[in-house]
Amino acid sequence: MNTWFRQHRFALGAALSHVRKAPGSFLFNVLVVAVALTLPFAGVTLLDNVRPLSEELSVDPEISLFLKADTPRDQAQALAPQLQRILHGSHAKVSFVPREQALANLKEKSGLTDVIATLGDNPLPDSYVMKLEGFASGAEAARVDDIAEQMRALPGVDTVQVDSAWVKRLAALLGVLRLALLLLAITLGVVVIAVVFNTIRLQVLTQREEIAVSKLLGATDNFIHRPFYYTGALLGLCAGAVALGAVALALRPLNTAIAEFARLYASEFQLATLPPLGMAALLAISAGLGLAGAMLSVQRHLARLK
Amino acid sequence: MIEFQSVSKKYSDSADTLALADVSLNIAKGELVYLAGPSGAGKSTLMKMVAAIERPTSGRVIVNGQDVGRIRKAGIPFLRRNLGLIFQNQRLLNDRHLLANVMLPLIVTGAPKAQAEQRARAALDKVGLLDRALALPMALSGGEQQRVAIARAIVNRPQIILADEPTANLDRAAADKVIDALHAFHSVGVTCVISTHDEQILDSAARVIRLEHGQVAGGAA
Repeated sequence: MNTWFRQHRFALGAALSHVRKAPGSFLFNVLVVAVALTLPFAGVTLLDNVRPLSEELSVDPEISLFLKADTPRDQAQALAPQLQRILHGSHAKVSFVPREQALANLKEKSGLTDVIATLGDNPLPDSYVMKLEGFASGAEAARVDDIAEQMRALPGVDTVQVDSAWVKRLAALLGVLRLALLLLAITLGVVVIAVVFNTIRLQVLTQREEIAVSKLLGATDNFIHRPFYYTGALLGLCAGAVALGAVALALRPLNTAIAEFARLYASEFQLATLPPLGMAALLAISAGLGLAGAMLSVQRHLARLK
Repeated sequence: MIEFQSVSKKYSDSADTLALADVSLNIAKGELVYLAGPSGAGKSTLMKMVAAIERPTSGRVIVNGQDVGRIRKAGIPFLRRNLGLIFQNQRLLNDRHLLANVMLPLIVTGAPKAQAEQRARAALDKVGLLDRALALPMALSGGEQQRVAIARAIVNRPQIILADEPTANLDRAAADKVIDALHAFHSVGVTCVISTHDEQILDSAARVIRLEHGQVAGGAA
């Protein structure tokens, strides 16, 4: 076991020694790989920020029923039992929202108090908000449309709106984004492997004599391969760290712009860097890509050296 | 210790010429043997086969009881760790000092660095170059470089030393020092096989195997 550790320490030392001998070349390669990694890392960070937001949004359908503006209050309130009848068998929370409360909510949430004050009369109708639960499957979602249709036929009803559609669209969009990000990550992963492959190829060529002599002196293939593996992994790791740093730096100006936009929606949403575990995972993936590139290169080019 | 049984070798890039043709010979443990012959006689090919750098086209090469032609690729490094190889052009690594060059055979076996350094210093001392331990190879003369190569070959305490034209390109005084160093290691029981075409060196040799056109012309027994 001691010999194993010693040989790995030697390999790491040899890899670091090569970096010290040509720091400019190593740095350049790190930057090239980092550029390739930055885009998928930024995508992962963005999705990680958006995911909890989309999870907070309910995908349970919410039905908003708006009455005609001239519907008397007692007629409006009398609709409640009919709505409960239509919703019979469904878990639903039915809330009556008087027009006065609707206006107060609008003033509070929109921040457009001054604009609303200029309207004079309250233009909003009385309404019902019904939050349905347990409509996850496609068949159950179709039932919601039936329910909405029955509600439209009730007297005094102006509009019935099912509010879950946009949440589903957002979820679908996030799914597409995730897939696009995966494809992008695979493509750029191949780029990283190709860059490391070429870097190691050049290193093998410059160390041809050392490799040949070491073989003649009894070095095993593992002994010869290891420093290149470490170099590849180190290259990937450093590039990953640079890419994470670049994403963190880019978040600052982005968050300034987002803050202004979010304020319009009374939100304090900000993009944050990945949690430490996420960063560690990305660094491990970067090092793994570097290692894969190095292994491919070493297998291919050292086999040619007799 | 080293046995060639009807060994022939044909390189793939040569037409019909055999580098070695039906060579049979024996070298006993602790023996000092010179391989002599003109350039192209097959001396280097014979040496390479002992170290499994080349494999025989036919016949068997037995080293330390192992059939070299049948050793798996993964086993070759372990065969070479029992050999001390010395080349005509030394093959020292010019980007590191002499001590690091001599430590290399120990480092590849996973020896602790402190132990490797101690033994490398001892090996350099034996060839009279300990005071130059931290010099780069390029700062040394050809003869001195060859002595460093000898130190590197013996640092692993090998059972066999194979020296391929170790005195080529050296002046007489430097060549004598190299041969003296090899004789010193032979005197402590190491089997030495030295190829040369320097007749002056052969004058004092106890056994000379002569090769001509890939065939043994004398001294095989």
